[in-house]
Amino acid sequence: MNKMRFSIWILLLLAVVASGVEVAYRSQEVRRLHVMSEEAQREQDEHLAEYSRLLIERGTLAAYQNVERIARDELAMSFPEDVERIEP
Amino acid sequence: MKPWRHYTVVGFFVFGCAGLVARLVYLSITDREFLQSQGDARSIRYETLRAYRGVVYDRQGQPLAVSTPVVAVWTNPSSSEFDEVTLTKLAKLLELDMAVLERRLEVYAKRKFMYLKRRLPWEKAEQLRALKLAGVFFQPEYRRYYPASEMAAHVVGVTDVDDAGLEGIELSFDELLKGRHGRKMVLKDQRGNTVKDLEYLSTPQFGTDLSLSLDLRLQYFAHRELKAAVAGHRAVSASLVMLDVRTGEVLALVNQPSYNPNELSGSRFDRMRNRAVTDTYEPGSTVKPFTVLAALESGRYRQTSLIDTSPGYFKVGNKLIEDPINRGVISLSEVLQKSSQVGIARVALRLEARAVYEVLVRAGVGAYVGTGLPGESMGKLSDLGLDNPVMRATLAYGYGLAVSPLQLAQAYLSLATLGIRMPVSILKQSVAPEGRRVFDAKQVRQVLDMMVGVTEDGGTAPKARVTGYRVAGKTGTSRKVGALGYDDKRHVALFAGIIPASDPRIVIVVVVNEPRGEIAGGGTVAAPIFARVAARTMRLLGIKPDSVVSLPESV
Repeated sequence: MNKMRFSIWILLLLAVVASGVEVAYRSQEVRRLHVMSEEAQREQDEHLAEYSRLLIERGTLAAYQNVERIARDELAMSFPEDVERIEP
Repeated sequence: MKPWRHYTVVGFFVFGCAGLVARLVYLSITDREFLQSQGDARSIRYETLRAYRGVVYDRQGQPLAVSTPVVAVWTNPSSSEFDEVTLTKLAKLLELDMAVLERRLEVYAKRKFMYLKRRLPWEKAEQLRALKLAGVFFQPEYRRYYPASEMAAHVVGVTDVDDAGLEGIELSFDELLKGRHGRKMVLKDQRGNTVKDLEYLSTPQFGTDLSLSLDLRLQYFAHRELKAAVAGHRAVSASLVMLDVRTGEVLALVNQPSYNPNELSGSRFDRMRNRAVTDTYEPGSTVKPFTVLAALESGRYRQTSLIDTSPGYFKVGNKLIEDPINRGVISLSEVLQKSSQVGIARVALRLEARAVYEVLVRAGVGAYVGTGLPGESMGKLSDLGLDNPVMRATLAYGYGLAVSPLQLAQAYLSLATLGIRMPVSILKQSVAPEGRRVFDAKQVRQVLDMMVGVTEDGGTAPKARVTGYRVAGKTGTSRKVGALGYDDKRHVALFAGIIPASDPRIVIVVVVNEPRGEIAGGGTVAAPIFARVAARTMRLLGIKPDSVVSLPESV
């Protein structure tokens, strides 16, 4: 009877210690994941910033004013305003 | 040593302990809830996880509105003190005036929240973060950029500093674009730094991207031509609407004057108005094709029916209707081609009282177009007084009603589709929407053929011609109402055209408001804009010419 009681006592003690360790481990894990998620969120923002910057850059470079200016001034192209006949 | 001293000391300890235990029990049981909530109130905060606002594209995938992450920098003036060195650093990085910053901190010294700077670019914020200044906090936010700038400003609209839609598509599709903000519960320390994320209550849902029906290339030509025209004619404003006949999509919608949505300060409100949608004008002679259609529907007229317009004027009630010259006996076709007031009024007076009105209603005049652009005007079309011949005559040549340029374009769209009224949309359509037949195809075909005469020799708008294509159109010049009735000096020049006339693909409506100069009617002001924009559009969209192109001799 006494022996039985003692072993239950030991078992409970072990369980308490184990759950204590588990709690410490989990909260450490939470902290680690928190840092990771923070980092991931920061990265997402960074990517978004870059994505939008590239979108805007593309929009600016491919803007029709720009295309027309380059075609006209740098490549000496022109709109065929009148019908012309071009033969090889 | 007397024993009572010993007992006294022990007694004090026992009493003290008992008091502490009692207090502990009291605090942790009776006062528990109150204390817990007070503790939470000091350390638990809710943070918004901002959703990324959707991108607005044109039909080709060119971005028209893009959000980019920026950072709002704030501080708590009541609990933070900055020394001289920190302040200098802050002011330099944030590009703030040192004196102004100090003054603001002083003024708000008792407040718990003050923005140091909003919309700080991401890279700058990283530099600031690296300094690890105490009492400086960061809050992510977004700033909207509009790469197409003033070209598409009226359609796309703008957002306010808090990223909520204010105008245009940004306003009417705000719900879709903004997505849903998320929320999380965090634990903060005394200084306000986040120690731990406790719980994610909801994850942010990013906004939906939108593809508009606009084609930025066409928008660009239209914008440029309109800008040149407004400057050249010293006009108050001008609008252009271009619709795709097969799908009812708005390919271009431009107004002058415009504004730069990236630089709102200093923009005047009248520049921000989307005039093509919100403003109405009396359409003048651009209504005549519908009067002619009503005449054909009545069965009393054919294309070749002759109408006597001599002596070039006639009186209805006490109203004098006149042509510039006496055109004598002309066909219905020529009435339209030469835009004869007398001829069209004669025709209208021989029709049923409601005939012209009914045709206009079926074409969509006087009803919302329903594109989803904010501030759409319904225009004005009333059937009151139709038993009065003066009203009927004036309605026949476009007075006594008002339409927005968008409405006029929709009305012409129902001609271009050979009688099918299509829903007009500002969003890109994956399939052509179902229309509703409102006119007989054969009769509309005849009207279109007559309208081609307008741009041929002897018509009112030879300047609307486009090499290689047949153009069906109609000019209009309507006087504006001033303080003393119709004002002879202020008017509106209109042109509505359909191209190619044989197999219509595009409808363009040009409205120039109050052009100055001697000869500033629809045929001289609005028609050339149509011609230039239409020519480029045909080329860009690769639409086959429907008229014989005479090739020059090869050289």
